[in-house]
Amino acid sequence: MRDLHLYFGLFISPFVLVFAVSVFFLVHNWLPKAVPNPAGARSVSDLPLPANLDQLSGRERIDTLKPALDWAQVHGEVGWIQHLAKENRLVVPVTVPGRITTVTIDVAKREARIEEQSTGLASALVALHKSPGPHLVGLRMNWIYVRVWYWLADATVYLLLFSTLSGVYLWYLLRSARRIGIVLLAAGAVSLFSLVHALVH
Amino acid sequence: MHLSTKQDAADKPVSRRQWVQVLKRWNCRLHYYLGLYLLLFVWLFAFTGLLLNHSQWRFAEFWDSRRQTSDERDILAPPPGGDLAQARDLMRQLGIRGEIEWTTTRNDAALFQFRASRPGHIVEIKADLARNKATLKRIDLNAWGVVRILHTFTGVRMDDARNRRDWVLTSVWAWTMDAVAAGLILMVLSSYYMWYELPQKRRLGVIVLALGFLSSGLFCVGLRCFY
Repeated sequence: MRDLHLYFGLFISPFVLVFAVSVFFLVHNWLPKAVPNPAGARSVSDLPLPANLDQLSGRERIDTLKPALDWAQVHGEVGWIQHLAKENRLVVPVTVPGRITTVTIDVAKREARIEEQSTGLASALVALHKSPGPHLVGLRMNWIYVRVWYWLADATVYLLLFSTLSGVYLWYLLRSARRIGIVLLAAGAVSLFSLVHALVH
Repeated sequence: MHLSTKQDAADKPVSRRQWVQVLKRWNCRLHYYLGLYLLLFVWLFAFTGLLLNHSQWRFAEFWDSRRQTSDERDILAPPPGGDLAQARDLMRQLGIRGEIEWTTTRNDAALFQFRASRPGHIVEIKADLARNKATLKRIDLNAWGVVRILHTFTGVRMDDARNRRDWVLTSVWAWTMDAVAAGLILMVLSSYYMWYELPQKRRLGVIVLALGFLSSGLFCVGLRCFY
């Protein structure tokens, strides 16, 4: 039990640091401004776009656009696509932790304008903290790495729960620390429940 | 004099050893006492994080089972002032507590619309200051809704400079989130020291820790270099 507590704890510790450090940015809305790529925007032509693109929506549209994005050498998680019907353009946001790329596709001309913005490490931590999150359920996890992160985030929670339970067991074996431990456990419970009660009622 | 110098030299390693022993003991205490104090907070945030990533879990459904009520109430037009002061005055008259959220831009001085929320309860307030009437649309969520909102209840939103924390309890909750995060960081650091004090577990520990850092580093920094 002691060894499992130690090794599982060591493995998840960098993930716990990612989630804990990003809390400060999320709670205080502190994020450095995104920096546009100094090379400026670039254009790509001859995009492999399917003929029925305008009839597609949601995840189907994202999956259909993936070859065109690969052609444009843009990789990452595709977010909500904006369709500018009058101009027959699609605005596709593509995110990699620490970078946002906006691909504006002119469907008729089969051309795309690509603008990259570097958002930095703090933003990467925040993006990972919130990923995949509860929104856009039908669209999210369209990039393999986001799916892998989803498994890792889940694994972090399960292993953290295991670590806390095994930690409680290991503490309980220490007779000398039992009394103060119980007092602190009770103090934590009282603080949490009184705070939640004050917030909710 | 000579004897005393010899004695000092003999004392030095002893006092250093003692200091290390004290550090070790306090580091262990910090690890399990802090862990015990934060235990329920960590469970709350870990479990609600899981709920947020698995919004398809039906057992934790809360939005479809929300309770909605509407009501029209008499009010006194608040004295002239800023939006925040006027919103607070209206909330006091209506007996509503919570974090104020600006949902629309105010174009007409006689119409005032905002949202007051706290975990589990959302009230949309539409005040007609010319008629001295306010329409309240109240949404009450079940316990799953309460715990899920606790995870994200900060009073601020990224990319939204207009909404700021304006309820004292939101600030207290935000400080609590900070404290839990800082506590977790301290626990991780103290665990590294405790592990380092076990020479027979160092090699496997280094491998496991390196695996953790490499896999999390891939996402934090690596992906943007590779793609």
